[in-house]
Amino acid sequence: MAVIDVTDLRKRYAGRPVLDGVSFAVEAGEIFGILGPNGAGKTTTVECVEGLRRPDGGSIRVLGLDPYTDGRALREQVGVQLQHTQLPENIKVWEALDLYASFYARPRDWRELLEEWGLADKRDARFGKLSGGQRQRLFIALALVGDPRVAFLDELTTGLDPQARRATWELVKRVRDHGVTVVLVSHFMDEVEELCDRVAVLDRGRVVALDTPVGLVGGEQRMRFTLLPGDSVAGLDALPGVTDVTRTGDRVVVTGRGDFATAVTAHLARHRVTVSDLRIDRRTLDDAFAALTGRSFTDR
Amino acid sequence: MTKLAVVELKLLVREPGAVFSLLIPLFILVVFGSSIEPGDTVLLPMALAIAVGLVGLYMLPTTLATYRERGILRRLSTTPVRPANLLVVQVLLQLVLALAACGLLIAVAGAVLGAHLPTRVLPGALTFLLGTAAMFAIGLLIAALAPNGRSANGIGVLLYFPLAYLAGLMQPASQMPAIVAAVGEYTPMGAFRLSMQDVWAGGVPDPLPLGVMAAYALVVSVLAARFFRWE
Repeated sequence: MAVIDVTDLRKRYAGRPVLDGVSFAVEAGEIFGILGPNGAGKTTTVECVEGLRRPDGGSIRVLGLDPYTDGRALREQVGVQLQHTQLPENIKVWEALDLYASFYARPRDWRELLEEWGLADKRDARFGKLSGGQRQRLFIALALVGDPRVAFLDELTTGLDPQARRATWELVKRVRDHGVTVVLVSHFMDEVEELCDRVAVLDRGRVVALDTPVGLVGGEQRMRFTLLPGDSVAGLDALPGVTDVTRTGDRVVVTGRGDFATAVTAHLARHRVTVSDLRIDRRTLDDAFAALTGRSFTDR
Repeated sequence: MTKLAVVELKLLVREPGAVFSLLIPLFILVVFGSSIEPGDTVLLPMALAIAVGLVGLYMLPTTLATYRERGILRRLSTTPVRPANLLVVQVLLQLVLALAACGLLIAVAGAVLGAHLPTRVLPGALTFLLGTAAMFAIGLLIAALAPNGRSANGIGVLLYFPLAYLAGLMQPASQMPAIVAAVGEYTPMGAFRLSMQDVWAGGVPDPLPLGVMAAYALVVSVLAARFFRWE
């Protein structure tokens, strides 16, 4: 059953279309990524799905409810971590959890969350004194304190150091393992590749691709090497998994899928061909994004 | 809702600004109080006006604008609780703060300085309510218009000093140019001080300053509601 069903979502700001017919469905128990460069419409999409904004057109169902008209019933079952939100400087960690728990009809025990998210020793610390990673863990704990069925996490690791990012990723996997469906908004390719079961790629208010990270990358790899003068690469193109062989002088590029690299190296060894400068590049989501939009991910 | 009120109360107590709103008018009262005559009906109304003005023009807008700036109102709107609840709790708590500041002033003036206190409660209570409503309305308008907590703070301070001057809180109204003093009677703090002086003199407050405060409360709070943004 789809937990979230979005069909032909449209939204304009000051006459300018921000969302131009966005459609996707999120299945129960998955980590669903919404990926795109800044300004692609990611945050507007989730804000419509969360019921914070009213769409101009299209339909949204979350757990069978309309987020805008059935907002109250829905908010009991949904946890949200918003981009750019803070807590009051002087609120203590336990007070924030206790307060947010009181908003829900059937909250989780916040003391458990404190343990689970490694905040037990920060119980009495004020929000203003927490590190970036600790704040992020507190925000996730607050998103989960209502015992939600769906959690929205928006730009979770922006501003964290690499180690804290890795740690946060592990925590997000743990949320999913507890049976919570996770919608992850991100502009980090590596994060989406690492975490998501499926990804909707947004560009200029449209979904330009919707697939698994592996499916998006296409599973293709490229092998490059240099031959000694006079050597031949005949027969490489007939190997299992190889899709293309291009030779330019002594430089050879072999493209293929699956375990083709092993077959290629075995073939070369059998024919006593010595190669140098051997490199294997995997296509990344960055490459996939460039192929989909004709633009590199980092420029807007 | 109860828990929200308890947590917000704790946060208010931890806020240095709240302590200042209690101590500044008290300091003024004590410094000038030592040199006044026992039957004085001017100093305490002035101190009360300063206290209510500080809470309404400084504490209230800074807190609310900071909450919006930090996305706290937005975050609340993703929970089953409406963010309007937080506004209501804040306005009530700031009212309690204004009441506490005035209570402290009256207690210290009565017990320590032996100042004159009015015997009738009702006119004083009415004046307090109207004056607080007028000053809070201005505070809410500042909170509605200020882009963030720091600018709300700045606007509050910037408005506070001219208003306090016009109200005759910096210099006795009798020593101010007549025209300025007359204008001052139509400012919320000036009307509050005048009414409170009537109350302290033992009479019923003049309807004009009461009407001035009611008009500010009504018109400015409608404007504040019109311009308020949740994010």
